[in-house]
Amino acid sequence: MITNPVPSPAAVARQWFLAHSDLDDLIQALRKAGRIVIGPTVRDGAIVNDEIQSAADLPAGVRDEQTAGRYRLAERSDERVFGYTVGPTPWKRFTFPPILPIATAHVSGSFGFEQPKIVAPQLAFLGVRACEIAALGMQDRVFLGSPFTDEDFRARRKAALIVAVQCTTCSSTCFCSSMGTGPEVRSGYDILLTEIDEGFVVQAGSPAGAAIVAHLPTRRPTHAETGAAVDVVEAVRTQIGEPLPIAGIDQRLKRQLDNPRWSVVAERCVECGNCTMSCPTCFCTSVTERSDMEGRTSVTERQWDSCFDVNFARVAGGDFRARPRDRYRQWLTHKFSTWMDQFGSFGCVGCGRCITWCPVQIDVREELQAIAPVIQPIERPVAVEPVAASPGRYSLARLASVKEETEDTTTLSLTDLDPAFLGGRPGQFVMVALPAFPAVPISISRFRSNGIDLTIRAVGPTSTALVNLHPGAKVGVRGPLGTFWPIEDAYGRHAVVVAGGVGLSPLHGLVEALVANRDRFESVSLYYGSRTPEDQLFRDDLVAWSAGKSIDVAVTVDRAGPEWKGRVGVVTTLFDMMSCDCSRITAFVVGPERMMQASVQSLISKGVPPERINVSMERHMECGIGLCGHCQTGPYFVCKDGPVFRLSELGDLYVREGI
Amino acid sequence: MASTGKAVRPRVAVAKFASCDGCQLTLLDLEDKLLEIVTRFDIVEFPEATSRHSPGPYDVVFVEGSISAPEHLDQIKALRKQARVLVTIGACATAGGIQAMRNWADHDAYRAAIYEHPEWVESLAMATAVSDHVKVDAELRGCPIDGGQLLELLTSVLVGRRPQIREEVVCRECKRKGIVCIVVASGEACMGPVTSSGCNALCPTYGRGCYGCFGPRIGANAKSWSAGLMRSGRPPEEVWRLFAGFTGYAEPFRSVLTELGKAKG
Ligand SMILES: Cc1cc2nc3c(=O)[nH]c(=O)nc-3n(C[C@H](O)[C@H](O)[C@H](O)COP(=O)(O)OP(=O)(O)OC[C@H]3O[C@@H](n4cnc5c(N)ncnc54)[C@H](O)[C@@H]3O)c2cc1C
Ligand code: SF4
Ligand code: SF4
Ligand code: SF4
Ligand code: SF4
Ligand code: SF4
Ligand code: FES
Repeated sequence: MITNPVPSPAAVARQWFLAHSDLDDLIQALRKAGRIVIGPTVRDGAIVNDEIQSAADLPAGVRDEQTAGRYRLAERSDERVFGYTVGPTPWKRFTFPPILPIATAHVSGSFGFEQPKIVAPQLAFLGVRACEIAALGMQDRVFLGSPFTDEDFRARRKAALIVAVQCTTCSSTCFCSSMGTGPEVRSGYDILLTEIDEGFVVQAGSPAGAAIVAHLPTRRPTHAETGAAVDVVEAVRTQIGEPLPIAGIDQRLKRQLDNPRWSVVAERCVECGNCTMSCPTCFCTSVTERSDMEGRTSVTERQWDSCFDVNFARVAGGDFRARPRDRYRQWLTHKFSTWMDQFGSFGCVGCGRCITWCPVQIDVREELQAIAPVIQPIERPVAVEPVAASPGRYSLARLASVKEETEDTTTLSLTDLDPAFLGGRPGQFVMVALPAFPAVPISISRFRSNGIDLTIRAVGPTSTALVNLHPGAKVGVRGPLGTFWPIEDAYGRHAVVVAGGVGLSPLHGLVEALVANRDRFESVSLYYGSRTPEDQLFRDDLVAWSAGKSIDVAVTVDRAGPEWKGRVGVVTTLFDMMSCDCSRITAFVVGPERMMQASVQSLISKGVPPERINVSMERHMECGIGLCGHCQTGPYFVCKDGPVFRLSELGDLYVREGI
Repeated sequence: MASTGKAVRPRVAVAKFASCDGCQLTLLDLEDKLLEIVTRFDIVEFPEATSRHSPGPYDVVFVEGSISAPEHLDQIKALRKQARVLVTIGACATAGGIQAMRNWADHDAYRAAIYEHPEWVESLAMATAVSDHVKVDAELRGCPIDGGQLLELLTSVLVGRRPQIREEVVCRECKRKGIVCIVVASGEACMGPVTSSGCNALCPTYGRGCYGCFGPRIGANAKSWSAGLMRSGRPPEEVWRLFAGFTGYAEPFRSVLTELGKAKG
């Protein structure tokens, strides 16, 4: 296996200076040494790597502007030769040709298969960047790192002399520093150039490189020059900006195989495969047979292929990756996850080509962040110490009043409570007990100055017994328990509350808090869906909130009689009314499981960041304090780690069945 | 493998419906192979080259042109009965071709605009692909078709293998050739991402956007691509023209055109 040569410290320390005007001497020295020089040159509106004859072919004074789906050339204010970043040509084009005959077969007299003789031209690659050296190293591991090797690649790779260049600028698409591959070239070169104002600081990384440098009209660089050479690279690192949170992404992606975002990005992806073709590490190929009309001599041709091809994973019985989202997932998880299992590193060097050359502007960095974000450890303001925090212990409260909300749902106002309950926050719940009935978890739907409200639907024995109580009755309560709505997450943003049915109960206290602090939010909207108009909770409040105009209230029902003049349809149909920049929404969602999933999916597809979507999960709870184990969902105890979660904390736990 | 012992040459017929003959001419253009083709195949019906007519059955029938006139309906069914393998060639036969433009228009008005005496011209209101009427065994796409693919199809008949014709996206061929993508680097419109390969990225090679003449590739995400073209500032009329070209009547281009039609009214 070829390994990128690592220069000795002494070699690194040895530096020369080559004037701009003498750069052609380097090209001619390489040519005289029998090499074809492949280097940067302007063609068809881009800086491509192609055969060059002299320094006149180089892109002096030209720079590139790269963003997702867009590449343009522009003029530089100086005459720098390497003042651009990686273009459309990955170096694999020369070590791993796009089309290569790999076998011939014939049937005339004798019968046989033959391998063509490997012809690897002596090349010199001029202008190789740090990310690209890393990419060559990755293909080394793919093609030469196992007992089954690609000898054609080996020959071409060996025959190429690497003249690397330090980056002195970066594009918006570059993220080498995140992948740990750049911007600084540290190894893997025969000759290394760092371009500074007056010329180049030159280093040799191998005897072959040193032999070429020996022919050049160099002098010793000044301290100012070597210092400038160090500074330019550091400046690029700063220019690239904060690295992405890549560490651990391989594992995080494995937990996101069912993330709904795969479908969202696949709707946009046109599956052109241009990302894989432009990628300097992608290695997939297919073979095609060519023959004369009788099939007596035939040639097997290998050509670059892509996992985006619809036939790539087809077998007689069908296609293993039949849906576009399967294919997009293959690409992204291969580069950032399974490549690690196969070859011990990421399959991406951060060159950004797949971003620039994607005709529909898909940016892998955004997809990674959206699909497998770093799950921040839950940091929330500390909740008040709950009262009676052990199973079986309850503090007593008195039922002050009862209000019927709907046919089966009633709000109980409790008073004479331990004052600690009043320090609770919207989103928290209490365990409520009556003698002889198992305790049940109930959300606090309102905080009053002298008590709390519980809004309860009679669905079974305990809940029915509770709604049938009369004022004056005593109940046992334990709480307030669990996490609460992170209202601060919505400061300065659009607060959007989405409720379905009795789900408005745990959100009711939140809406009151949003209204009370209205000027802290850009806007506040409530989208509420119920089965019928008669099933709406808190009808007086809905009317008051709409009339107050400080928040937008939109309601819908699944079905209604002719007297209903409002909207009919599920709650997500109300989302067309969202006219704001969805990336600036902070959402709070509660309702029946199916409604929550649909709402969350729709919010994500509109661009609401998953860490800004808060949901409350309902699970079977008995203790409410993390001891009985009933409520476990993945790593979480919903009672104490939840019930309120940011979607980013849940990842695909949220939509996965049977967890 | 073809055995040289048997001198039975496959009988090949070429039939023509509404088309310009460009595709048939591709066969004649295979100059250096032509002699070998006529020695290995018995070409019995070929309007462009011979006036010799001979009855079926045929081993291979190449069909050029779309089904556009009332008499075509019976003719294509009869032909199918005579053909062991029926291969459609060109954008007209595989997708309705440029004639299918009229499928969105008022047919009579179209006819009146084109012909001096529209009443003398008898045509169907719709120009449709052959596969809308009979089973098709293989397709050669393009306007005109690619000579290499035609040769490969004939070769595969002789050798008895599956034709080695890759149905890929034009971008794949474009990238293998090392062409700088004109969409990204110059902001040009190109139908490459939704079009079937076979031309070896002919148009992008000459710095022009792909016209889509090989038709939609399997699984083409035409919806996203039309949205992408509009995102880059093209009005719906222009995107309509791009999709309506040679193969606009084939799905999923057809659906995109229907949507765009609604948008531009
Ligand atoms: C955090 C949280 C907050 C809640 N807030 C409210 C609220 O504000 N208002 C409201 O009406 N309901 C709320 N519930 C649901 C409520 O706890 C159940 O409806 C109640 O436990 C039903 O008990 P039951 O004895 O009346 O009915 P059962 O006949 O025992 O059960 C009826 C249904 O409730 C489910 N259930 C039973 N026991 C529990 C339990 N201990 N935990 C969760 N589900 C259970 C059963 O699986 C069944 O589907 C909340 C649940 C949770 C987890
Ligand atoms: S991500 Fe972009 S470049 Fe890659 S296949 Fe999809 S559309 Fe093409
Ligand atoms: S995945 Fe994209 S950024 Fe990473 S090496 Fe490939 S082309 Fe470059
Ligand atoms: S991303 Fe796709 S094309 Fe690239 S190496 Fe992986 S499987 Fe192959
Ligand atoms: S990714 Fe890094 S090494 Fe590659 S061109 Fe950009 S700055 Fe240079
Ligand atoms: S020029 Fe057209 S065919 Fe070529 S890669 Fe770009 S979009 Fe695809
Ligand atoms: S309810 Fe007991 S552990 Fe959560």
